[in-house]
Amino acid sequence: MKEMTDSNKDGQSGDARRCRGVTAMLSAATILGLLASTPALAADAPAAAAAKDSKPAAKIPNARTGMTGQWNRYPEIDEKPSPEFPPAAPIPPPPLKPKYKAEWEAHRKMLADAEAAGKPIFSNYTACLPDGMPAMMMGMFPMEVLQTPGQVTIIQEAYNQVRRIYMGEKLPAFEDAEPLFWGHSSGKWEGDTLVVETIGIKEDVKFRDTPHSNQMRIVERIRLLSPTMMEDQVTVTDPEYLEGPWQWRWMYKRMPGYKMLEYVCESNREYRDETGAARMKLGK
Amino acid sequence: MKTSTARFARAAIVGVGFTLAAVSVALAHHSFAMFDSDHQIKVSGKVTGFQWANPHVYIEMDGRNVKDEKAQAQHYTVECASPGILTRIGWKFNMVKSGDEVTVIIAPLRTGEPGGLLKQLTLPDGRKFLNGGPAGKPNIE
Repeated sequence: MKEMTDSNKDGQSGDARRCRGVTAMLSAATILGLLASTPALAADAPAAAAAKDSKPAAKIPNARTGMTGQWNRYPEIDEKPSPEFPPAAPIPPPPLKPKYKAEWEAHRKMLADAEAAGKPIFSNYTACLPDGMPAMMMGMFPMEVLQTPGQVTIIQEAYNQVRRIYMGEKLPAFEDAEPLFWGHSSGKWEGDTLVVETIGIKEDVKFRDTPHSNQMRIVERIRLLSPTMMEDQVTVTDPEYLEGPWQWRWMYKRMPGYKMLEYVCESNREYRDETGAARMKLGK
Repeated sequence: MKTSTARFARAAIVGVGFTLAAVSVALAHHSFAMFDSDHQIKVSGKVTGFQWANPHVYIEMDGRNVKDEKAQAQHYTVECASPGILTRIGWKFNMVKSGDEVTVIIAPLRTGEPGGLLKQLTLPDGRKFLNGGPAGKPNIE
């Protein structure tokens, strides 16, 4: 699977470079006091492009209610990205500590080799188990955000996955957080950005086969980029397994009028053969 | 500031290729590497069953590889995408029925078993349907 080999070979993602660029911009501007507000400083390429555009940009709705609705990953397969919203940089490989890195790389190579040989390895997802957090936020299928008092609920159509983000909730200590597929999430607002902290993910719910401890923390910064675009900046930390933060960004495009479909993984014909490969059962 | 933006733009452009590669294989449910998309075949015959359910829709049919004169009629199991993916590209849960004469272009199973991944379905009335982005397009007519 190419997903397994999409690591940025120079080991540095565009996101990381961009984060540093933004940080530098922030520092410089803070020192010089050139700009009035920090949100303007956080402007990225799309916003900068929009600013240059002569026509006034459409007003971004109030984030506290405006995230509600249906969203599709962006760009969708075969979708030509708009110049105003360049696609997010590829997700970098996890910054695993050296003692875990070799094993992870060997595992990924085994998966990629099996894929290339036409014998893809059977996975938990193929077994109809949901991919949990943070994977469900990639937006495999359409996603629905519901903002209600004290709570933001996100539904991923694939496997009917639901996560509930409780606003202002105090999270349990790591060792007291029951391991779950979607964990325990607490949200707060920083300006128009929804900042969500998630802990308590099951050990075998691994994003890109990356091992983690019960001290893994996922911090998401979710914001509207325009009336029809939204992004989720994800930062994963884990003092046991990771040398530093693992960061990437997902983007979504609004699906006006879309009605979410049910998804029950009820008739799985894929099975694990004796070699561990996924096979399709033939019907009659 | 200009440099940072330019650097980001460049990174984003470089990223497009990677992202598309990643997205194209962020498949629902499972990898399609078990199917041989490079050697597609065309099968015509009668539908014996149509299962509209997750994680995949299936067409069961008794058919024959129409491009191989020596091919015998046999039973084929054709895997389609999920009801959601198919609904979003215009399929309906009841548009295929047992007894329908259909033609499919499929990527056959690499094991040689009589089954494959749908690339294109032609209904008795001539309407053609693809199988959604992840499954890919037909490369034969």
